[in-house]
Amino acid sequence: MNDMLGGERVLRVNWLPGSDRLVGRCHCGAETEAEDPVQMWEWLLAHPDHSAGGAGSPDPVGELPPPPAHVITDPAVVRSRTPVLV
Amino acid sequence: MTSIVRNQWYVAAYGREVGRELFSRTVCGESILFWRTEAGDVTAMSDRCVHRRFPLSQAPSHLVGDAVVCGYHGFTYGADGGCVAVPGQTRVPRTARLKAYPVVEQDSFVWVFIGEAEKAEVTAIPRAPWLDQEGWTTVSGMEPLAARASLLVDNLMDLSHETYLHGGYIGTPEVAETPITTEVDDEAGIVYVSRHMADAECPPFYATSTGLQGRITRWQDIEFVPPCLYKLHSRIAPVGSVPNPDGTDPDAFHVEVVYAITPETESSTHDFWAVARDFALDDEGVSAFLRENNRTVVLQDVVALDVLEQVLAGEPDGYQELSINIDTGGLAARRLIARLAGEGAGVAPAVGR
Ligand code: FES
Ligand SMILES: [Fe+2]
Ligand SMILES: [Zn+2]
Repeated sequence: MNDMLGGERVLRVNWLPGSDRLVGRCHCGAETEAEDPVQMWEWLLAHPDHSAGGAGSPDPVGELPPPPAHVITDPAVVRSRTPVLV
Repeated sequence: MTSIVRNQWYVAAYGREVGRELFSRTVCGESILFWRTEAGDVTAMSDRCVHRRFPLSQAPSHLVGDAVVCGYHGFTYGADGGCVAVPGQTRVPRTARLKAYPVVEQDSFVWVFIGEAEKAEVTAIPRAPWLDQEGWTTVSGMEPLAARASLLVDNLMDLSHETYLHGGYIGTPEVAETPITTEVDDEAGIVYVSRHMADAECPPFYATSTGLQGRITRWQDIEFVPPCLYKLHSRIAPVGSVPNPDGTDPDAFHVEVVYAITPETESSTHDFWAVARDFALDDEGVSAFLRENNRTVVLQDVVALDVLEQVLAGEPDGYQELSINIDTGGLAARRLIARLAGEGAGVAPAVGR
């Protein structure tokens, strides 16, 4: 797609059609690929010190820890979301 | 810590809401009184009488010419917020004055500057010219949102949610399926997110208003000027149609969807919405349809975000979320807002998570 903003200090992230990949381009010309937008912005915003290894690492492989419980601190929220049984 | 960005212009009202009746709205936690002078200029000042704190918007407070008379004991204030008369004595205490706010009427909105008033002049007011321009017809409204402003920013920056939350109105499968391009102009402070669908289903919102049948080309170009003004440049055209090299675009229908996201408090927001179109300009049926439908869509977001605010408020700090490609623009918007919030405080913003 065409560039839409014409400024001197524009950072661009293109999501490659037909893939899950993001391509990021800094106004200095540095470019990288990633598949996580948080890591992509970190890489772009590091300008002028873009890390040579690219933007972060792909999803970890191997065993993951079990997902955490969703903890609620406010009892009012628990009550307001408990359906009333009639 | 506050999430509200200060030293910025915010939309406080539509111009049509402010007249010769006293009008009050809370903006960024500050209760502000608005009224029009006899010459037609909008004024903005604090909505609390300095005497015993009675709200000046509360009857029987009232206007007499270009002065507000407090309905409790009669302290009287001029258009600049200065007290001009108190009851029973001729001496008016020097400290009897209301905070006056810089205020500008532009693009159908009343903009008010929240922060140190001397910074107002050097701070740009973002533009949405279509809302008050020859060749365009606009419908608009405002819905109260019981959620923090950042939730509405997240919502609007990622339109893939249309497919799920607004199916049957503006959402079709292609919205969530089509990749986006995200650009950030750090100097100008703009986030731009493009989603160009070359061959898409036409949702009822556009089929009914444009009369286009069958598949369409649908472009969504978001231009967000943090912290407050969001513009969606929407282009609807027959499949295969592109604008001419000279920029003219006779086969397309253009809709400018504008949101002004104004914090009311830390956890509530004024959700101003406007839909401007460059076709069927005098067709009241199209206006009524777009007004009703866009309001319905806005209320679908309001319901979802009100629930989300309750849930977030009832969670411990530091909850986890997960971002994927669709969030690229929303993350960029968060970072620019954090930067604005940090300016003046001398704090470097963290990367949006
Ligand atoms: S899919 Fe976004 S909150 Fe569930
Ligand atoms: Fe929405
Ligand atoms: Zn760079």
